[in-house]
Amino acid sequence: MNLSRNRVFVVEDDPSMRTAIKNLLRSVGLEAQLFASAQEFLSADRPDVPTCLILDVRLPGLSGLDLQRELSASNVDIPIIFITAHGDIPMSVRAMKAGAVEFLTKPFRDQDLLDAIQAALAQDHVRRQKDSEIAELRSRFQSLTSRERELLPLVVSGRSNKEIAAEIGTSEITVKVHRGHLMRKMRARSLASLLRMATDLKIPYTTV
Amino acid sequence: MRIPQSATFRYGISLLFVGVALGLSLLVHSFLPDGFLIFFLSAVMLAGWFGRMGAGLFAVVVSTVTVDYLFIPPYRAFVIELDELPYFLTFLLSAVVTSWLGSARRYAEEKQTAHLDELFEQTPEAVILVDLHDRVLRVNKEFTHIFGYGIDESVKRPSTELIVPAQFKGEALNARERLATGQVVNVETVRRRKDGSLINVSEVAFPVIANGKVIAYYLIFRDITKSKLALEQLQKAQAELAHLSRITTMGELASSIAHEINQPIGAIVTNGNAALRWLGQQPSHVEGAEEALECIVRDANRAAQVIGRIRSLLRKNTSPMVSLDINEIIREVLLLTASEANRRQVAVKSEIAAPIPAILGDRVQLQQVMLNLIMNSLDSMSITTDRPRELRIKSSNKSDCVLVQVEDSGNGLDAQHSNSIFDPFFTTKKDGIGMGLTISRSIVEAHGGRLWAEQRTPHGAILNFTIPISPRTV
Repeated sequence: MNLSRNRVFVVEDDPSMRTAIKNLLRSVGLEAQLFASAQEFLSADRPDVPTCLILDVRLPGLSGLDLQRELSASNVDIPIIFITAHGDIPMSVRAMKAGAVEFLTKPFRDQDLLDAIQAALAQDHVRRQKDSEIAELRSRFQSLTSRERELLPLVVSGRSNKEIAAEIGTSEITVKVHRGHLMRKMRARSLASLLRMATDLKIPYTTV
Repeated sequence: MRIPQSATFRYGISLLFVGVALGLSLLVHSFLPDGFLIFFLSAVMLAGWFGRMGAGLFAVVVSTVTVDYLFIPPYRAFVIELDELPYFLTFLLSAVVTSWLGSARRYAEEKQTAHLDELFEQTPEAVILVDLHDRVLRVNKEFTHIFGYGIDESVKRPSTELIVPAQFKGEALNARERLATGQVVNVETVRRRKDGSLINVSEVAFPVIANGKVIAYYLIFRDITKSKLALEQLQKAQAELAHLSRITTMGELASSIAHEINQPIGAIVTNGNAALRWLGQQPSHVEGAEEALECIVRDANRAAQVIGRIRSLLRKNTSPMVSLDINEIIREVLLLTASEANRRQVAVKSEIAAPIPAILGDRVQLQQVMLNLIMNSLDSMSITTDRPRELRIKSSNKSDCVLVQVEDSGNGLDAQHSNSIFDPFFTTKKDGIGMGLTISRSIVEAHGGRLWAEQRTPHGAILNFTIPISPRTV
């Protein structure tokens, strides 16, 4: 993975700690963007590259855990690495359950932080890839006719053309033509790949 | 001093006076027939003076009989002619009055002397009367108790020789010069007992003035060794209590202080790692490492400062009174309490007047006052949820003092408690010991200032204190 095409956000109220994290990230070629408070982070623009968030638990105003909740409520999916001066177990459990990548106690081992960042960025990378794949699938799905859309769940359910024709009240030959269009428009090479696409698009179907 | 006189003496002396009057009268009778009057009237007066009322009247009776027998016609007979009766009665009346005057005057004088003597003797302070040459004329009972000298050992000896330690001779002579000009001298000093031991005394000395001239000096001493010792012990106990209270407060702050130290340490570790990574690169990147190392130095200094502040607050002995900037003290304590305020989600605002005149004070004690007031304010907002939690610290410059105000948006002063908040052991907190405000007030008052509380509108309380401006800067 090319690290320079990533961005690490740091939300930490202590200026020393903030600078120290920036220094550490720079030494491994990572670019950090620093924020002193949760509000500052929320109002900033985020670039369209793989990112992760290093978040201090104790912040003035909105706390780190509050920010985590806020982000998830507004569907911002960004991997979070929590750092805290004195983390207790209930607090870390809460953070991890809400999807945090890692929960580190200051002073932390640099390798632990870098590993967590690596994992978080990889996770974000995968998510972003997945997101763009789904976006592509959606646009393919949008290009289908209503008949083809009607056909999709029936095809992935494993029904034969004959069964489908009987179900929607048309001829077997017509189903065959529609099915060919469907497979081509969705760029599905096999029934298995169409099935995976239907799953990704969250199209309900029943297997026989 | 009163010398008790026997009846024999009093009546004898009375007879003696009458006898002398008789002799003198007989002597002058041939050429001064009425001369006896002056002698006998003098005799009854003297008898009244020296022998008191009884002996005076006895002299009147004896004189009357003698005068009637020898000097009022018919002579040598106890009979009085009718013509001579007014003359005789006038004599009798004069004699009675004269005798009464003598004895009454004597009685009044004795009464007054007795009162003064009692006062002198019974005064619970050591009193010395010295003449202009410092010779002791008289000492009282308490003097003998305090200084250990008997009356005989003291009288006629120079008082400085008796009780003034060598190193205080100059001061004593100085005081004597001021006395000679008619001034009253009031000092706290040290004097010496007969056994050589030293005592702390409060001395009042004043001259005795008669007809516009200084004729003697009174020196009055009170032994203040015990009260001085008690005061020192009280001060020591108060200092210990203040120290204990500081430790308690620091205990409450422990987790915040740990955070305050952990933060720079975390930064140091991270920067150290960054520096190692910069140097470990091929080729090593010295500039990046230098930058990280500079951060390490700065953060280490910051951690050391936090530790230094804590250590000075936990020190047992108080620091000396020095010229201080109250704003600096406010800033230092705010740094210590910042993360505690943060933890409790309290917004801290400071409105500091700059420049502010210097004050004379004990840094640690004033830090303790600030710490107590801030912690109290934070505590008072612990159950505040329906409005922002705000702590506001203001310093301002009044004409002769600086004013510091600590405001919070908590529950304010309970009307029923507002008078008791400065009482020892008064607390509304579950685990408070109730000494914070008591100690703070005594510290502020020891600095010559005032500490008071008032209600804030619409919510909360304002704790105010003043410290006088250091005289050097006025």
